[in-house]
Amino acid sequence: MQKTEHIIELAGYEKEDLTVCLGCKICASVCTVNDLSISTSPQELLQTLFLGKDIAADNPLVRYCTGCYRCTHACPWDIRVPEIVRALRDELATGSPFEKAFKGSVAIWGRVYEPYVLLKAVPFLIKEGYLKHMNRWIEYMGIHLPHKVKGINRSSGSSSSNGLNESNGSKGRKGRAL
Amino acid sequence: MNYGYYPGCSLTGSAHKLDKGVRKVLEKQGHVLKEIPDWNCCGAFEYGDRKELTNFSKRNLEKARGLFQEIVAPCPACYKNLKEADEKKEFDIQHPLDLCGEAFLSSMKQVHDLKGLVFTPYYGCILLRPRETAISNKTVMEDTISRFGGEVAGEKVKDKCCGGNQIFINKFATEKLSRLILEKSKGTMVVFCPLCHMALKTFSGDRKVIYFTDLLLYIMGEKNTL
Repeated sequence: MQKTEHIIELAGYEKEDLTVCLGCKICASVCTVNDLSISTSPQELLQTLFLGKDIAADNPLVRYCTGCYRCTHACPWDIRVPEIVRALRDELATGSPFEKAFKGSVAIWGRVYEPYVLLKAVPFLIKEGYLKHMNRWIEYMGIHLPHKVKGINRSSGSSSSNGLNESNGSKGRKGRAL
Repeated sequence: MNYGYYPGCSLTGSAHKLDKGVRKVLEKQGHVLKEIPDWNCCGAFEYGDRKELTNFSKRNLEKARGLFQEIVAPCPACYKNLKEADEKKEFDIQHPLDLCGEAFLSSMKQVHDLKGLVFTPYYGCILLRPRETAISNKTVMEDTISRFGGEVAGEKVKDKCCGGNQIFINKFATEKLSRLILEKSKGTMVVFCPLCHMALKTFSGDRKVIYFTDLLLYIMGEKNTL
């Protein structure tokens, strides 16, 4: 069971911040996911979350939100739905193999090393039919050796932590136990 | 003017052309870019915990502290993340597009013009939204194309989403959104975002997709950047 307060906090909000939603649904009218012929409503997602009901991993926004911020731009209160969706994705562990490889690279080197990400995601790329685009990508890929950022404290990929020392005084993430 | 430079991960790899373009254009205009030493990934859009995401960029700002006041970040995601991490507004974090104002364009050495050429300036999402981190001049690409004699097309799609963010998650979504943009625009697509570049280029067929810096370099005299 998802805990509303936890998702909202992950997204950098407090529950009160979302009580301002007027229910006008202008977010739904501008949402990019609708351009995919998939009916969706950010307002309904907020409402579901607010009522403490679970949101499933196959919710159209959880699956397809492109993070375009059109909803935020149209919202009278600038509510950042894409950031709530990202928090939900983290909580539901919906990361694709590519996203896991991305985070793995950051945990090892502190940067995204694209050749590593592509290699780690090879089975996924083959299965999902990406290889036909490779020629196009190779046209403009830059090949270089990885740079390891100082202070990286993990030697292997972790999908849930960035592996960087928190030298800036931040307290970092709070406990994730629900 | 001296700037701290944050290239970000894409610009060391798939968008190295943008990296070279930004360095070259700004250098030609008399600016000096120096990389923030040992910078790390900004986290892009991959982390659901906002504190975790912000910490990436806070760390980069710590590395810039005392060395740079003004920072340039070409990748829209990096630019947004850095700007949001600078909670006390201690730095002046700029996108290169905001450096291309009137003074910049009027001092630019012009060798080629754009007469007879059609371009769709495509900004995508993060350069324009959310409004707190959006670039200031939202018609800078159109202004540049018109100023040097080119035809501007595709006004209606300039702020649509290409779905680049989904390219390695749900490819069909990126394909559909990118094709919509390509269908409703004309001529060469001019972009500034590495993800938009990748998405549009993947599905553009024979249509050209270039970085805005390629356009500037052509105007400044380079021959093969269009």
